[in-house]
Amino acid sequence: MTVKVEVIEGGIPHNKIMIAGLVTTLVCLYLTYLNVLTNTEVFAFFGGLAVVAALIWGSHTIKVLCSYGIGTGVPSAGMIAFGSGVIAMLFATKFGLAAPIVALVIAAVIGFILGYISNNILNMKIPAMVQALTEMAIVGALTLMGFAAMMTGGFTFEGLTTGTISILGMTVNSNQISFIGGGLIAVAFLLGAIAIQHPFNACLGPGWKQDRMLMLTAECGFLSMIVAAIMSFALISAGAAIISLIVAIVGWAYSYSQYICLSKRDAAAWLDAKQIPEMEGH
Amino acid sequence: MSAVAAKPQAGGAMNPTAMGVGVIMLLVLLGICWYVSPGLGLMALIGVVIGGVLIGFGTHFVPVGGAPAAMGQAPGIATGVAMLAAGAGLAGLFGGAWAADQGLLVATITGGVGGALMMAITCMMVNFIYVFGMGIPSASGKVAKDPITGDTQAEFKSQGTEGHGLPFVSFVGGVTGGFLGGAGGTLIYLQLLSLYEAKLPALMGVPAAQVMPIAVATAGMFAVGMFLVNAVLTAYNITGTIEGPHDPKFKRWPRSIVASAVASALCGLFAILIVAM
Repeated sequence: MTVKVEVIEGGIPHNKIMIAGLVTTLVCLYLTYLNVLTNTEVFAFFGGLAVVAALIWGSHTIKVLCSYGIGTGVPSAGMIAFGSGVIAMLFATKFGLAAPIVALVIAAVIGFILGYISNNILNMKIPAMVQALTEMAIVGALTLMGFAAMMTGGFTFEGLTTGTISILGMTVNSNQISFIGGGLIAVAFLLGAIAIQHPFNACLGPGWKQDRMLMLTAECGFLSMIVAAIMSFALISAGAAIISLIVAIVGWAYSYSQYICLSKRDAAAWLDAKQIPEMEGH
Repeated sequence: MSAVAAKPQAGGAMNPTAMGVGVIMLLVLLGICWYVSPGLGLMALIGVVIGGVLIGFGTHFVPVGGAPAAMGQAPGIATGVAMLAAGAGLAGLFGGAWAADQGLLVATITGGVGGALMMAITCMMVNFIYVFGMGIPSASGKVAKDPITGDTQAEFKSQGTEGHGLPFVSFVGGVTGGFLGGAGGTLIYLQLLSLYEAKLPALMGVPAAQVMPIAVATAGMFAVGMFLVNAVLTAYNITGTIEGPHDPKFKRWPRSIVASAVASALCGLFAILIVAM
């Protein structure tokens, strides 16, 4: 079970991606706190950028882990990342301003113990296992926190569980219209889980190229961000949601076109075939 | 080497030291929970651990074929362990959640029936596609005779394959696994739900009726998260494909019980701390 099928050749080393991803994610998450300082909601889109940064880091971690034949398929890695991440994230929201840091620490603890369980109790004996599961739990927790910050404008338990609803012109507080109470967290969970596992699953093989996979991750992240931006119309002001949506669409369009260019670069030969012309007169 | 004579792979060995460490970790986590929240919290955590163990044990029954099964070269359902366990468990969880106010026993069994039903339908449709779509009979590659019906398998097995289709014993295993997984997922959900219903109103300072959506959603998300963690750990235990309860890999279940118990206790502890702190 410890046969390494692929090695990373060239490209950016994993540790560099990890540090860059972690710092960018945390900075972007804290930039959403400008909402509270300036009493607006327009900085919510930084949550979406935190999601993209965390996903890029996470998909490279999946590449490191799944290069060993773990025999369970790549999607399972995305599932355990978010399964352990959601627990750390929900617990961390209780800590107010420190939530992202607490999420990081709790997720690292959960991931480390899960890594120990897999490697020793379940006898997987894969060298990268403990570090990879630790990283992926952190990625899962921070991605969900990014989605939460993007949809609600904040990342505290109160902010995620209370919303406002207007009945007959009056504004009352409601727990039903909120990130957790409304079940938006379930959508965020799967948006992230699919976006983190898809890139390596799609790009693996002898022709794997790091930049192509990471560009696909960015594309998946921005695609998830579009959906999250549309859902954020329910919870934050329309102006802030439109800003998120525009950022997401611009990011997606850029990363998608870049990904197509990289795919064409890596393809052995590609033919720009036209559609089959419709025959007339029959 | 014929598949019938194939020995369990090297990954099947147990690691007694790690198992011991796992049991100690479980006791420490239960101890922390007893210290932080004796009574309601500890009861909830014990329920969560039992639910997690049910998921981990039940997943071993499910016939998982993976990519070889999609090509008709191995028996089982043509997808991964994590996907099948998540499908059966979540179907059970939704079924059990509907019956949540009818008591623990009724709701847990309802959840189990939901998961079993989902697996029964999946297994039947898989066999329909194998037999009528791909034109291959059902034959196990791991045993000479079906342990339940006693039908011989070798004459139906194609050369060079591990067996194909979904023999009767695998079908029964799938339904059993779905039942255990669905019941386990529902048990986790119910334990957390009753804890949150009791503690959240005071914590958030809102009436009990208002807090229901939060309690349901938080308990549901924690249950889904724990379910996926347990399902993937079991997938790591099985490493690839398993035919069902007659497969040699089934004997690895003690490892999975310890792993699931520790993982559920760890995740459950944080789920309880959210209201206990």
